[in-house]
Amino acid sequence: MDTSSAAVASRPAIQTAARDSARTQAAPLAELKAKLRIKGLNFYYGGFHALKNVSLDIPERKVTAFIGPSGCGKSTLLRTFNRMYSLYPEQRAEGEILMDGENLVTTRKDVSLIRAKIGMVFQKPTPFPMSIYDNIAFGVRLFENLSRREMDDRVEWALGRAALWSEVKDKLGQSGQSLSGGQQQRLCIARGIAIKPEVLLLDEPCSALDPISTAKVEELIHELKNDYTVVIVTHNMQQAARVSDFTAYMYLGELIEYDVTDTIFIKPKKAATEDYITGRFG
Amino acid sequence: MSAAIAASPISPSNPVYRARRRTNFVLLTVSALALAFGLFWLVWILGTLLYEGGNALARAALYYQMTPPPGADGGLANAIGGSLVMVSVGTLIGTPVGILAGTFLAEYGRRGWLAAATRFLNDVLLSAPSIVIGLFVYSIYVAKVGHFSAWAGSLALALLVVPVVVRTTDDMLKLVPNSLREAAMALGCPAWKMITVVTYRAARTGILTGVLLAVARISGETAPLLFTALNNQFWSTNLNAPMANLPVVIFQFAMSPYEDWHRLAWGGAALITLAVLVLNILARALFRKSD
Amino acid sequence: MGTAEHISKQFEADLDTTRTRVLQMGGLVEAQILAAIQAFATGDAAVVAQVIDNDARVNGYEVAIDGAINHIVVKRQPAASDLRLIMAISKIVTDLERIGDEAEKIARMSKRIHEQGAHHAQRFPSIRHAAQVAVKMLRQALDAFARLDAASAADVLKEDSEIDNEFRSVLRQLITHMMEDPRTISASLETIWVAKAIERIGDHSKNIAEQVIYIVKGTDVRHTSFEDIERELRKE
Repeated sequence: MDTSSAAVASRPAIQTAARDSARTQAAPLAELKAKLRIKGLNFYYGGFHALKNVSLDIPERKVTAFIGPSGCGKSTLLRTFNRMYSLYPEQRAEGEILMDGENLVTTRKDVSLIRAKIGMVFQKPTPFPMSIYDNIAFGVRLFENLSRREMDDRVEWALGRAALWSEVKDKLGQSGQSLSGGQQQRLCIARGIAIKPEVLLLDEPCSALDPISTAKVEELIHELKNDYTVVIVTHNMQQAARVSDFTAYMYLGELIEYDVTDTIFIKPKKAATEDYITGRFG
Repeated sequence: MSAAIAASPISPSNPVYRARRRTNFVLLTVSALALAFGLFWLVWILGTLLYEGGNALARAALYYQMTPPPGADGGLANAIGGSLVMVSVGTLIGTPVGILAGTFLAEYGRRGWLAAATRFLNDVLLSAPSIVIGLFVYSIYVAKVGHFSAWAGSLALALLVVPVVVRTTDDMLKLVPNSLREAAMALGCPAWKMITVVTYRAARTGILTGVLLAVARISGETAPLLFTALNNQFWSTNLNAPMANLPVVIFQFAMSPYEDWHRLAWGGAALITLAVLVLNILARALFRKSD
Repeated sequence: MGTAEHISKQFEADLDTTRTRVLQMGGLVEAQILAAIQAFATGDAAVVAQVIDNDARVNGYEVAIDGAINHIVVKRQPAASDLRLIMAISKIVTDLERIGDEAEKIARMSKRIHEQGAHHAQRFPSIRHAAQVAVKMLRQALDAFARLDAASAADVLKEDSEIDNEFRSVLRQLITHMMEDPRTISASLETIWVAKAIERIGDHSKNIAEQVIYIVKGTDVRHTSFEDIERELRKE
């Protein structure tokens, strides 16, 4: 084996994630445009301080995952993005969530306009007590006046993107609640994308689903990120590793580490992240 | 091996087990006897009603002839008609008020003193003696206007309908899971639309059941009508005048010394009971179908 | 690695067992090298036979450890430091098995050399020296693995150039020797191959050290210059 020094200089420099240690937390997005910029976000359930000074940027058209143990605030953080907490008087947020330059926390604009741009799919599938067709059309009718033909097309498009069209195209009139769990969740996803939001928030979308439905939804997420910014909360770490481009690890209301997914799962910077990912809790 | 089984506490000879079985048997027997006791009275009441009123119910004349003077032949047509009118008007007035108030309590009044106070007052009204309601309507309307009327009767019945509907609407809406509301809001839905299109639809059978139960309740109320609609011997469609109704007719006829009036009273009582029974069964069937 | 034990005791036990097995394999391989060099020096047929027999045990270790690794991957889906440890062990075990093969080759060749005349072996103390350096490298790499010491592993990388120099010097000597006395060509060639085997042992030990650095630092330092590695290690 020839180790003469002549060849040394031409060897590639080290390709390592360790180089990132010089970067700040917002750095993974240095080359990417941020869709949502969160700065100094604090959240309270009554007197309980649930989110402590959280700051991060959600990159556009990528999948960002929030992971962490129960009660760490990941769902709470997700629900601040579409002002879902406004429904409950004892919940309040302070700080900045900037989307397209506007602070969602303090904006005077009608909240329903925000929610039409930032869609959400919940942990438990919640089809409305209406037909499958109406489930999808409901959201669309809120803001658009489509002809019957256009609405049919939109419903078909949404169900197609959600990989559900072939299974329900002959029973669009049946109640949405007559579908199986996995189908109901995909119906909820179709309902969410039918209104063509810019951001899609998924709160543990697969936790109530069997492995095959989960796999289908994960495939779907992979396709969705071409058009939407996706943020997913999951307690399944392998799912976060499979599905996301960026991962944020949270613990007790604080953002501990936020980085490219591969870095978090192969060589995390913080010991706390490492402990959680490898299943060590001292 | 068998020694181990014999020594195990899971065996029929275990005294703890035997004591439990004895207690179980005793309590089951006592419960069955209590059930029999309750059923006995119910069966007796229904039996008496059907026996005494059965003949009257079978006569077609009951349904098209007016209430007669003593000794003459007649039916309960005006009373039936009057009851139908007042129950309908009362329900029509009371239901929207009840549903909207119930919606307010369930959707906007989760916390805060106003909602709690409203619920409390509603429960008081719910169990208020109906005669109080009747006297109230008498003093604010009948006395002012100077005469009895079916409007007053309907108003009194409406005041009885409202608390029932408020209560059931509040309860049924609270049963709708929050996740459904959030799902609608997450699509950018304004609150009123979420309530009317999604939440009402989800709770519709429950709310309808509540309305049916309210109707069943007011069908048999006598006291409020005594002071408001009073009675009328003839067929009347004038809501501004006293109107015949079944409960007051029964009251009047039953207290009289005339035999044929007694028979008509029994017929009326049986009719009301059967109507209430049918309404209850309908309400139950509706509710079960929704599950 | 990590600040505490895994919640799963079974996982902890599986990892410990695998680490121990790797070290045991390393110890066996080390003994094989020493025995093979002894066979080169003395031509003792019994020693040669022993080395050749033991190679089967080395191979057995490789198969067992790889099986254990598969088991851990499918059951635990290891991440972060656990993942790096498992991946590195898989490669370390391959390198150890190859070292074992090289030791067996040295033993075989020694046998042939001595059949043709033992004095050839005495002439090359540099081979014995190279062998000692190789064993030292292996021992230090295994020790760095046991203690997960990246600095110690980096030192191993330095010594590889020493072995390479020894090899080139032996080569020059043997070429001269062959040119002087063509009857010695056969034995000399065997000797060259012994030297080559020792040089390869050095390379494999270097690979093991590189894997240890990967486990500890998360940095893949294969195919990089030593200056870059030093710089990397000084960071953090």
